[in-house]
Amino acid sequence: MTTVASTVPVARRRLGFDPSKPVLVAFAVILFALIVMPLSWLMFYAFSSKSGGFTLDNFHRLVTDAAYLDPLLTTFALATLAALICCVVAAPMGWLVARTDMPLRRTVRLLVTASFVTPPFLGAIAWELLAAPNSGLLNQLYRELTGAGQGVHLLNIYSFTGLVFVISCYTFPYVFVLVANSLDRTPGDLEDASAILGGKAWDTARRITIPLALPSMLAGALVAFLQAMTLFGSPAILAMPAGFHTMTTKIWSLFQFPPQPELAAAASLPLLLLTVLLLRAEHMVLGRRGYSVVGAKNSEPRIVRLGRWRWVMLIAAMLVLMCPVFLPYFALLNASFSKVASHLVWFNNFTFHNLHFVFYELSATQLALRNTFILGTLAATVGTVLALVIAYVHVRQAVSGYRVLGFLATAPVAIPGIVLGVGLFFTYTRPPFVLYGTLWILLIAFVTLNMPAAYQQLQSAFKAVHPELEDASRILGATRLRALWQITAPLLRTSVIATWCFIFVGVIRELSAAVMLFTSETKVLSVLIYDLNESGDLAAIAVLGLLMLLITFGIVALANSLKFGGARRLSAPS
Amino acid sequence: MASVELRDLTKRYGDVAVVDDISLTIAHGHLVCLLGPSGCGKTTTLRLIAGFVEPSEGEIRVGDKLVSSPTHSLPPEKRNMSMIFQSYALWPHMTVSENIVYGLKLRKMDRETIGKKLDAILATTRLAPLAQRYPGELSGGQQQRVALARALIVEPETLLLDEPLSNLDANLREEMRFEVRRLHDAYRYTTVYVTHDQSEAMTTADLIAVMNAGRIEQAGSPEEIYDQPRSEFVARFIGSSNVIKGKGLDAARIDFAGTPLRCSGAKINSGAPTPVSIRPHDIGIFATQRQGENVLLATVVRQVFLGGSRDYMVEAKDGTQLRVLTAAGENIPQGSAVWLHLPPERCRALNGQ
Amino acid sequence: MKGSKISRRDVLIGSSALAAGASFSTKVISAAPPASAVTPALVEAAKKEGKVVWYTSVDLKLSEQIGKAFEDKYPGVTCKVERTGAERILQRIGQEYSANVHAVDVVNSSDASHLVYWKDQGLLAPYLPEDVAKYYPDEHKDADGTYASFRVFLCVIAYNTSLVKKEEAPKSFGDLLDPKWKGKIVKAHPGYSGTIMTATYQMSRDLGWEYFEKLAQQNILQVQSAADPPKKIALGERAIQADGVEYLIHQEKEAGQPVEPVYATEGTPLIIGPNGLFKAAPNPNAARLFQSFCFSPECQQLCIDIGGLRSVHPQIKEHTGRTPLSKIKTMKDDAAAVLKNSEQIKARYVKIFRV
Repeated sequence: MTTVASTVPVARRRLGFDPSKPVLVAFAVILFALIVMPLSWLMFYAFSSKSGGFTLDNFHRLVTDAAYLDPLLTTFALATLAALICCVVAAPMGWLVARTDMPLRRTVRLLVTASFVTPPFLGAIAWELLAAPNSGLLNQLYRELTGAGQGVHLLNIYSFTGLVFVISCYTFPYVFVLVANSLDRTPGDLEDASAILGGKAWDTARRITIPLALPSMLAGALVAFLQAMTLFGSPAILAMPAGFHTMTTKIWSLFQFPPQPELAAAASLPLLLLTVLLLRAEHMVLGRRGYSVVGAKNSEPRIVRLGRWRWVMLIAAMLVLMCPVFLPYFALLNASFSKVASHLVWFNNFTFHNLHFVFYELSATQLALRNTFILGTLAATVGTVLALVIAYVHVRQAVSGYRVLGFLATAPVAIPGIVLGVGLFFTYTRPPFVLYGTLWILLIAFVTLNMPAAYQQLQSAFKAVHPELEDASRILGATRLRALWQITAPLLRTSVIATWCFIFVGVIRELSAAVMLFTSETKVLSVLIYDLNESGDLAAIAVLGLLMLLITFGIVALANSLKFGGARRLSAPS
Repeated sequence: MASVELRDLTKRYGDVAVVDDISLTIAHGHLVCLLGPSGCGKTTTLRLIAGFVEPSEGEIRVGDKLVSSPTHSLPPEKRNMSMIFQSYALWPHMTVSENIVYGLKLRKMDRETIGKKLDAILATTRLAPLAQRYPGELSGGQQQRVALARALIVEPETLLLDEPLSNLDANLREEMRFEVRRLHDAYRYTTVYVTHDQSEAMTTADLIAVMNAGRIEQAGSPEEIYDQPRSEFVARFIGSSNVIKGKGLDAARIDFAGTPLRCSGAKINSGAPTPVSIRPHDIGIFATQRQGENVLLATVVRQVFLGGSRDYMVEAKDGTQLRVLTAAGENIPQGSAVWLHLPPERCRALNGQ
Repeated sequence: MKGSKISRRDVLIGSSALAAGASFSTKVISAAPPASAVTPALVEAAKKEGKVVWYTSVDLKLSEQIGKAFEDKYPGVTCKVERTGAERILQRIGQEYSANVHAVDVVNSSDASHLVYWKDQGLLAPYLPEDVAKYYPDEHKDADGTYASFRVFLCVIAYNTSLVKKEEAPKSFGDLLDPKWKGKIVKAHPGYSGTIMTATYQMSRDLGWEYFEKLAQQNILQVQSAADPPKKIALGERAIQADGVEYLIHQEKEAGQPVEPVYATEGTPLIIGPNGLFKAAPNPNAARLFQSFCFSPECQQLCIDIGGLRSVHPQIKEHTGRTPLSKIKTMKDDAAAVLKNSEQIKARYVKIFRV
């Protein structure tokens, strides 16, 4: 026998250690501080009596005292209705833009994006201008047209219905986007297969298209429900004048003097619990059916010809978009240049005074703008980096605890903004971390709240980059970090920029956590607007609101231009 | 069941004719393969037949019934056809059984009949144990069989298959080819089968239509297509072929590298450049000088031992390289002069371009 | 609470602290500091600090104007105005101080009891501006010199004159209970507004809680700040305000808006909004300078002319066209009692109005 004596070189171990492990541990610790600590304090307080001992009294009061039980039920009804309305309105619209030849489909999508990035509290204020029973522009118009007398009104925004409507206006994009995207991704083959087997258009829609889009609609409805449940601004603006509380405004009022933090903590838990339960339930409903589509080739979906109906449908879609976009924007624009916010601008009452007031007289404007920009930039940068690393670790399964990291990064989905605000307040007003009063605490809140979405985005981006691209670099001698930096990072650039912008916009529109955590030095734009609303300074709000929208659209446009400019060049060859 | 007839069928997107004036008749109960490289228009042709796409010109008839024309097009659901998609297009929210009986339910059959038919097709396709699974839980081959079962159970007049095997691995692909043919022989539906894989076409088809750039280059039985290619494209696409560029001498001969070659096939015009194809295993190779017609002197550039055969690359005087396959025993070293014999009946003069 | 260990309750100023504070509020320490004039040294020191932070519940426009007037008079010192409702100021300062954040220099609240509370907590610094020492009546300055009545105003009924005729306008709080006003009244909230807290105390004392119980049947539009109702009736959103600050009614009326105040026959709640400065003020000199400025005739006149406020400074001129304060029947102010009862008032109010 001959021995094949091929000399195997002893694997050369790199002496300098791979710095990626400690980096990953550090990120795990950060996530822990962001999420686990505030929630632990929240739990602790919820089960504490005023003197600091263990008690269940807080919960007892929560379920027996009508002052707490009513808001809880109201919130539930509110969120359910909003989610239903979203489905009824947004799902057909999603189908229209994804599967029909309705004209201006791109424009419709763009306008939905506009309503998506419009801060809900701003929408609520704009709708005050439009549909306050007496001074609302639409009610004035109605009286003008019908000749009805004083006190007669068509719409009353200060009501439960009004609140449901306004909340639906700004949560329907969740359902729309998810349904439209799902229909975009569903291969046309699946519908063609039904057609060729004899399925008529309606059969195919009922048995194939709708069931396939259903999980996305469910997911969208769930997000809409959670948003409606945890929203603070709109109820604070509309529910109080209407004479009722929702859970979030109730929690907030518990911090009024004298503060009852234990009760606030206890009141937060139902929101948290419900969120977790709903997210679990979603998994159970979907069950074994893999809704992710099987098979490789993504065929073009067949477009449904609407014929004459295409214009009717476009008008319907535009009518829907009147509510979150055209009318409110118009109302804000009008109020910005009118001497009296509820009067239609005309030559005799046109004024630049409101602009002058906001930019030259209102001393908080500059500070709030600066803080918003600083926080937006910091939160977007920190959040993106954090999400990037965690997404990488999770997708490449780089460390043994990657599942925990992934879970922690997704967990804030279940934490309503105001609850996180309460938790952070408990955590960072005491040694060793006294961050209250600094921008840091707001930064923590914003990063935490935006983490799940950022993480999801980047995770799917990472999945699209084949690990072999990275392996090819490592086999040539690059460390993991270097491979990440030189190979993966450039390929991910578009997603990273999109995520960055997404967080930035998220920071601009965040109110519920900010309102718990700001101090005079750390005021942000959203809180400034909220404060102005409290004293009824609608004109100043209109100006600031438009400014806010301009900044937001600027960022969105930037993200889009980079996306379209860079995508083709950077898409990996397949 | 009925024949399918395509008449002057054209589909244009803008100025580009993706399908360009195709005429083809598929006899009742026959299996026709549309064979060609990607982008040749074969899938569009199939979708025209299915009714997903409407023709710009021409028409499609099934039996005596006009189903597609530029002015009138029967929707797919009214054509009584079945189709197997490249992606299989299994509905992920339905179980295997639900997927399969979908078409029967649309036809409003009673429960009992549906049950019987389901059991039968599950047995034929060996899917019975998987009946309650969801598509996401199946392997590629299993998914393919579900797609097949779903298409066959409705007993269509016409069965359309769009690259049904392309997502399978090599072994399974080979097995499924025979399976498709076996099922076709059993049910004898008029079948149109789209593929880019020539051996798949060879195994399954009664008739092969080779497509290129939206046109049918040649249609015929597998033997005809293989032995008597009419164009360089067909010659190269079906099996491997040497295509040599000669010049017409007279009606039967060309001049190649200074040697006259007698050819069969297309008519030769004297003086016209004429491509001629000959398959590597049809060329005789000799280490010693040979006399006679169609003998050519060349040099061995390289040779490789393939186990069952030997693969030579030889170079003619004008620099044209030819591949020659011989028995393994015939070992002629590199650099040697060799005499090639190109049998006239194997030299196919092609339609020059 | 009294343990040597820092209990976690210290993190927040809880209601127990409030109760403790209330019990101390009766003690009398008469140690008024000497009157301080504005000296060039003070101005210089203030300029070094560069800014002063004023938490105030004065209406936004006026507070920004006062800040601007101050900046114009003392260039180099910027005035940062933090306007929000009085109750939220209390909450904010409580939150901030519990976290050792000292951001506020001078505070103004439309709920005088807050000043009593902060003083009892030992948070306020004694400082007596010259004007206060010389001109302000004793009932309008703290005996220990920690605060004085920066502004005085009323919490009034008012109506929109284009929606309600003068003859039909309510004359008293009792008139508001007339069913014809159902759904036409806007009202602010004592949980958010110090003005309304004070007014609610005075009215519940003088009219009884039944008044509020009946008012709650009138389907009112509940807003937060006492500054909001005047704006809502000017917009025409509601015809009548049940309460709200008088000075905005003056402002709106004089700007040509169709609004008119009503001084109720039962008496109008008198609101005192004192200014005080904090011991831990980050800008102590600027704080003093600003406090002196606030009580100067110049600033007080500004309050009247622009702000529509009242003043107890004898050197100011009342605005023609406004009913002089001396001709109005007012309810009696009692800050200490408000402090003692505020939690109970809020709780009762929430029970009645359900928000």
